[in-house]
Amino acid sequence: MNPQTDWEEIERLFHEVVDLPTQEREALLASASESVRAEVGSLLETNDKAFFSAPPAHLAADLIENQPSALTAGQRVGKYEIEALITTGGMGEVYLAHDPSGNSVALKILRPHLVASPQAVDRFQTEARAASALSHPNIVTVCETGDSPAGMFIAMEWVEGSTFRELIDAGAVDTSRAIDWCEQATRALAAAHHAEILHRDIKPENIILRRDGVLKILDFGLARLAGPVRLEPDTSGASGTISGTLSGTLLYMSPEILRGEVASSASDVFSLGTLLYELWTGKHPFAGETPLDVYEAIECREVAAPSTLRDGMPQEIDVLIMRMLDRDPAARPSAREASAVFSRFSTKP
Amino acid sequence: MNPQGEVTSLLTAWGKGDQNALNELMPLVYNELHRMARRAWSGQAQGHTLQPTALINEAFLKLAGAENASFENRCHFLAVACTAMRQILVNHAKSRHTGKRGSGQVMLSLEDVQPAVNQEAAEVVALHEALERLQAVDPRKSKVVEMRYFGGLSIEETAEALGVSIITVNRDWRLARTWLIREMSSGRS
Repeated sequence: MNPQTDWEEIERLFHEVVDLPTQEREALLASASESVRAEVGSLLETNDKAFFSAPPAHLAADLIENQPSALTAGQRVGKYEIEALITTGGMGEVYLAHDPSGNSVALKILRPHLVASPQAVDRFQTEARAASALSHPNIVTVCETGDSPAGMFIAMEWVEGSTFRELIDAGAVDTSRAIDWCEQATRALAAAHHAEILHRDIKPENIILRRDGVLKILDFGLARLAGPVRLEPDTSGASGTISGTLSGTLLYMSPEILRGEVASSASDVFSLGTLLYELWTGKHPFAGETPLDVYEAIECREVAAPSTLRDGMPQEIDVLIMRMLDRDPAARPSAREASAVFSRFSTKP
Repeated sequence: MNPQGEVTSLLTAWGKGDQNALNELMPLVYNELHRMARRAWSGQAQGHTLQPTALINEAFLKLAGAENASFENRCHFLAVACTAMRQILVNHAKSRHTGKRGSGQVMLSLEDVQPAVNQEAAEVVALHEALERLQAVDPRKSKVVEMRYFGGLSIEETAEALGVSIITVNRDWRLARTWLIREMSSGRS
């Protein structure tokens, strides 16, 4: 018996039958030797346990802990009753739930296995604290934070609407709406900075336009109070660093963050500038084929002025967005200054 | 020769099949990535997280320089850097697994959290060991998993760096993951 030949046959058979129903699998496997059949059978059995949708970084935790991954409708967390799972992120799960009077809330629950990481707990508490400290119509309101048998939770106002990602992807946005959204977004950021809170993860997925036209910034998950917050140096390579994909986040990182420098309010301004550029032009200023291309683009590629991509762009806004994208943090306008420019153009009463 | 020139010529030499070049390259890449990873880990306390891919890209720019970023150089660098990243993360997990963690900063009692910390770290080590067994059976599949899991590369980037098609990487990834999951689950039960 030749192990190498066997392995090639195992590989071929696995791919051939893996997507077929059981009976057809058996027919195709019938001619193989017993040892090959046993090996393919064992791999198929593993495959059928449907681990494949899980990202690699969560493979570890999910396999080991074997814990119920989600709460079901009707379960209680604190005084809230779960209705449905909305999304699962690196930090936890977000549910639609309602309080005893029937008001909808978004309930964010820290995944129990992340309680192992002081960094994750800290980040979660900081999010709760930072968002609670902010009271602004354009920043999502925190109703309550607490701990429950299901995990630590944050109950937030339920915002129904479209994310900026969806709005940008839906096609060109007319000038008056673009100005309105830019004004609301910069105003929210200015309020946070005024309270000495940085967002640190501004991206289109974190901004929602409510159905009544009010824009809300969500997810102060990476936010830090500018005051003295005592933090554990994190050493959790496992939960924090192996998560693999750069996905959206890199695209909205400022050059100084990429270099590993400490974030400032100007870093938030840069991230928001990237997003506003995309909103006006439909194009990402640092788009690239690979993360390395994006990295290089943020570091050194020349950015075309939005007005070269969109006709009728007000010149002052054109200049403002380019200044928000200045590689020198000190040369960028403050969020407050940016919001003042958009206010002048706003036609809203 | 300046350091960037040295790394570039080592990459080129290794690309032409010179194994000694790899031996010289690996510690350079390992040390640079390790330094950056430590900075990123301590930096996380201040709220910024760097992913493996970002570290690798940053290391490339630092070690080889943007002007040397030819397609071949990048591919060779990615292969070395993903291996180095795997070693860093596994060593880190091992030290974490055995190391003591005493801290009064955590809000929850340590009895509650300690087992889970150990489990996650143990899982990284278990994957690393299963991957070594896979390498004996099928080296390319083990490389695919290394690049995807430890280096954080996408399917497309992995295909590019290994010079194979996306379909091949997809198939390798699917079978390799199944194989690894089975190895890791049977080892535990």
